[in-house]
Amino acid sequence: MHSKVDIGDPLDRVESRLKVTGTAKYAAEYNLPNEVYGVLVTSTIAKGRIKSIDTKAAQRATGVLSIISHENAPKVPGYSASVNNEGARVYGQEFRLFFDNKIYHNHQPVALAIADSFARADYAASLVKVEYEPEPHDTDMRDSLEKAIKPARHDDYSRGVAGAFKSAPIQVEQAYETPFQVHNPMEPHVTTAVWEGNDKVTVYNKTQATKISQKEIAKAFDLSEENVRAYSPFVGGAFGSSSRVWPQEMAAIMGAKATGKPVQVVLKRDQVFNMVGYRPRSVQRFGIGASADGTLTGITHEAYGSTSQYEQFTERITDPTKSMYSCPNLNATYRLVRLDMSTPCWTRGPGETSGSFALESAMDELAYKLKMDPLQLRRKNFAAKDPENNKPWSSNYLRECYEAGAKRFGWSKRKSEPRSMRDGDWLIGMGMASGVYKAVRDRAVARAKLSQDGSLLVQSAVADTGPGSATIFTQIAADAMGIDVEKTRFEWGDSTLPYAPGQFGSHTTASVGSAVYEVCKALKQRLQQLATEQAIQAARTEDLLFENNAISLKDGSSNIPYTDILKQQSLPELEVIKESEGNPAMEKYSGKSFCANFVEVRVHALTGEVRVNRVVSAVDCGKVMNQKTAESQVYGSVVWGIGIALMEEGIIDHRYGRHVNNDLAKYYVPVNADVPDIEVVVIDKPDPVLDPMGAKGMGEIPLIGFSAAVANAVYHATGKRIRELPITPEKLV
Amino acid sequence: MEEQKANKEGQSEQPHNDTRRDFLKQSSLLTALVLTPPTVFNAAAARLDEKVAEKFEKVPVTLEINRVKQKLSVEPRVTLLDLLREQLNLTGTKKGCDYGQCGACTVHVDGVRVNSCLTFAVMLDGKKITTIEGLAEGDELHPMQQAFIKHDGFQCGYCTPGQIMSAVACVREGHANSEAEIREYMSGNICRCGAYPNIVKAIQEVKNGGQKV
Amino acid sequence: MNQFEYTRPTKQKAALEQKAKSPATKFIAGGTNLIDLMKHGVENPQKLVDINRLPLHKIEQTKTGLRIGALVANSTVAEDKQVLEKFPLLSQALVSGASAQLRHMATVGGNIMQRTRCYYFYDTALPCNKREPGSGCGALEGINRIHAIFGFSDKCIAVHPSDMCVALAALDAKVLVTGPNGDRSISFLDFHRLPGDQPEKDTNLGPDELILAVDIPASPFTKNVHYLKVRERASYAFALVSVAAALDIENNTIRNARLAMGGVAHKPWRLLGAEKALIGKQVSEEVFQQAAAVAMQGAKAFEHNEYKLKLAPNSIVQALKNAAGMA
Repeated sequence: MHSKVDIGDPLDRVESRLKVTGTAKYAAEYNLPNEVYGVLVTSTIAKGRIKSIDTKAAQRATGVLSIISHENAPKVPGYSASVNNEGARVYGQEFRLFFDNKIYHNHQPVALAIADSFARADYAASLVKVEYEPEPHDTDMRDSLEKAIKPARHDDYSRGVAGAFKSAPIQVEQAYETPFQVHNPMEPHVTTAVWEGNDKVTVYNKTQATKISQKEIAKAFDLSEENVRAYSPFVGGAFGSSSRVWPQEMAAIMGAKATGKPVQVVLKRDQVFNMVGYRPRSVQRFGIGASADGTLTGITHEAYGSTSQYEQFTERITDPTKSMYSCPNLNATYRLVRLDMSTPCWTRGPGETSGSFALESAMDELAYKLKMDPLQLRRKNFAAKDPENNKPWSSNYLRECYEAGAKRFGWSKRKSEPRSMRDGDWLIGMGMASGVYKAVRDRAVARAKLSQDGSLLVQSAVADTGPGSATIFTQIAADAMGIDVEKTRFEWGDSTLPYAPGQFGSHTTASVGSAVYEVCKALKQRLQQLATEQAIQAARTEDLLFENNAISLKDGSSNIPYTDILKQQSLPELEVIKESEGNPAMEKYSGKSFCANFVEVRVHALTGEVRVNRVVSAVDCGKVMNQKTAESQVYGSVVWGIGIALMEEGIIDHRYGRHVNNDLAKYYVPVNADVPDIEVVVIDKPDPVLDPMGAKGMGEIPLIGFSAAVANAVYHATGKRIRELPITPEKLV
Repeated sequence: MEEQKANKEGQSEQPHNDTRRDFLKQSSLLTALVLTPPTVFNAAAARLDEKVAEKFEKVPVTLEINRVKQKLSVEPRVTLLDLLREQLNLTGTKKGCDYGQCGACTVHVDGVRVNSCLTFAVMLDGKKITTIEGLAEGDELHPMQQAFIKHDGFQCGYCTPGQIMSAVACVREGHANSEAEIREYMSGNICRCGAYPNIVKAIQEVKNGGQKV
Repeated sequence: MNQFEYTRPTKQKAALEQKAKSPATKFIAGGTNLIDLMKHGVENPQKLVDINRLPLHKIEQTKTGLRIGALVANSTVAEDKQVLEKFPLLSQALVSGASAQLRHMATVGGNIMQRTRCYYFYDTALPCNKREPGSGCGALEGINRIHAIFGFSDKCIAVHPSDMCVALAALDAKVLVTGPNGDRSISFLDFHRLPGDQPEKDTNLGPDELILAVDIPASPFTKNVHYLKVRERASYAFALVSVAAALDIENNTIRNARLAMGGVAHKPWRLLGAEKALIGKQVSEEVFQQAAAVAMQGAKAFEHNEYKLKLAPNSIVQALKNAAGMA
């Protein structure tokens, strides 16, 4: 039975052939009849007003169809409706494209040039002359901390005594900073929009959430949701940056309205830096205290993040601090600095990534003060239940991560003294860090269709931006139904399919996977009911086997192929829809994924260059759904962690309020040569509560704490503590 | 070798040809659309000049793309990347940065891997171009494509065609002799999903497999 | 990008004539830098003269050394047998630059003519005297972590981005050019300019001139050489600082030495003083440190590039150690 597939098997990705042959179609690649191209013109000031827009030359350019700005843009009914923050995922007034003459940030889109080729649209865009009335702006977070506000949607947290770390015998009090980081998926943000009449629009879209696109676009253009179709089977990476509706979507839809043609709008790389979110800067004051034996007695975490003037973007920056370690006294605050920049957006491990840099660096500093092994300090303060709310963990194999990771890494060979290991001109350092990330499950719906030819189709609107969700849902369905994997097809990435939440927050497997699992369970029940054999109909579930494309009794006395059941009932197909409503049992539990990262770095003694030499990433993500794609997810987080630790930094010239390194030659992300051997250790033990597959999430957990593990290794190598990312040669030379 | 005739707009594929003709036909209808904003009228009026302008602005170029010779007409400012994606519907070649900073647009020109975003199509007159669509032999995937599937050398898939074109060249160039050499010579292809370790494994397998690459 | 006229001459004479006719005309070869700049709106030529069909693709031995045609691809030079044998320093420098794809496209002439990667030069919304004379230098009081520590002016503090040129400067190469008045040979050290009052002028190449080839004189620097490139990313990144070091060592004595640095000045920065400090000395880290100290005389940093005052001498020492086989 070579085609039998189980959950966990390293099945090749179901869409792999399309991806390696270049036939997978991304949002800019449909080449629809009459399709035209839109290029956005962006502001050159950070704050002020548009005084005038001169589009004459642009309109005269060859191939130009239309130049759209706030002066002539098609009306967006939703822009004029009153602000309803109840439903909005970010508090405040969303950015309204071509709404008025106000400039809120540099590179704000102010016009759209549409022409019959990209080159012509691009040239026309360069001919649009905009005059501004600038106003004083502020993009410098560090100089504006005193102006920080308490976010409307974030509460301060405390347990025990606030500031207790100050009375601890051993304490660390430091400030840690992380810079702007930009998602930079390889596919720039893009939408191709097509109207059918005045009340129906299709968007071929780069989105992590077809249902959010559908809903938001329907709201903006006052359409019924069924008249908005977001079609996004292939998305060239997103990492959080395609979890909202952005200017390129609105521009394409407006452009298509104005021209009566399909319009594609692809952001240029510099626009990707300024229009579709980024990880906000953080400044974090962190205090941690312990008794002489290393027992934590108090933690204070005061975090500052940045946001725009029009929205309050909040992230989970203090979450790891609250849950990671057993500590009786803890107080955490989070404040926002409003800047004249676009609104940040969820970025892989949003909040936890920056917050854990502070927490896990401080733990390392504390370990040195205690003269204690950093791993031992963490083991000692293991939290038997979630200290944030005293709930038991739904599962927690963090200690197994510590043990397995340390063993594989050879942590015991580490000399404790900083600057004690060397290989020629290179200083060697070893560091580690722990990570914790929420494991939750949301509502999702799946539809299953079994055909008389024995094939199974399972559908959900969920996106697959790269993690391999489509593959594991195929796998879950094939495994649950006992149907050959070749006969199982999963369809995704289309808002006309049953509801799925966005593919973010590491909750896709638990949410949509549960719906897939449950719809298969329902389908099996239907098959049992429809089976003509009395023995099968009457059997208890536990006495039945659903294997080899057939129902059978475990005692072997009866066996009916699914196809026979459909034929006997004269059903061309059998369709079941199932809604999976999260999991109420989880209210009593705290659901988290855990990890322990072990990193070896080489730091050049003279030049200060840092190279990550070796990584062991040990992860508790519940039951693994696909060994192959799971490993790839860990690789992804590790590569992100290397980028964040060593090179990624959005640099702004505050005099102009403008990014100066907004492309991939000046904002570095890791290349192949930066990435060493990565050993992945997956604990692979099912979570008994969260979902029927036993899966937690794994798209983000290995990233949490990773940058601190690198910084800790750099300290071990050099004796220099870097508290401001990234760790570039200039900080070490 | 086949030869396809293309019309002066530079299309060679029949369906797309029709598309283009429809477009030209409908563009004049556009002016009649009352609901369109005023700017469209002006732009449409400017289009009258376009047919004249096109004669001067476009130049003929002959390219052999995936073993098919194509006589095309392009504006000199059009990059090979935009020509492939827009005019020839060969969208397997990806636009990641458009500035030669990511490698997603990698194709082979006369067997050499280059960034198609930094190449004006007109400069390639008479050259042979291979894109990801031209790599497989019919249904038979190229060994590198197979190895990428086997080793999960991609996640989102967007950088993948560029990675594969680059990987094939990397082996052919003789720069796949060690893990370190592969990493270095594949560093012109950025993968934001972080599939690098698997990409290296895929290349090593092909290199060591002894198949013709 | 604006429309432009495109020509593709096959004869040198025609190429020169076509360029001379229009001041807004540019030669194009590999295009890796020019097309990038055109996309950014930094360069807006009205006409491009494609010189790829000119016969400048050869690497040939001459009486005095090696002549590399202006149109030879960077990757071809890097892997050329004669280059590897006689000028390994050049090969090392080339391989450290850009990516495999870009090295296939970029030519020797184009590499020499490539322009700075200064942030302000690339963003047409920001001031830059090099791009727009008189608009001011954005970097002077702005973000200047990647900028010059030598030879800058108050008009421009940008650095030259090439790796190849640093090696060629160290190897005493000459640039053979041609123009309306015939051929001339320009010493590599005189080819690129310091910004002074005219940062818009990167080189001393005449407006009607064309690079034909690079001549590298034969030298004893075939063994003890090293090109060190310091960067935050392991590959496909510009140098924060780079050093081309070449030593001629006999019996542990330095008979001759060449040193040049990249990432520190508006041109490849030859370290003649430091070379003198090395010649005749015994190989030792201390001697290298003394040479590095000489090299750094006159260096001055700005707000964000003070680290270069330490990184540069450290890199010199490391490059010399590597060249001498001490690392």
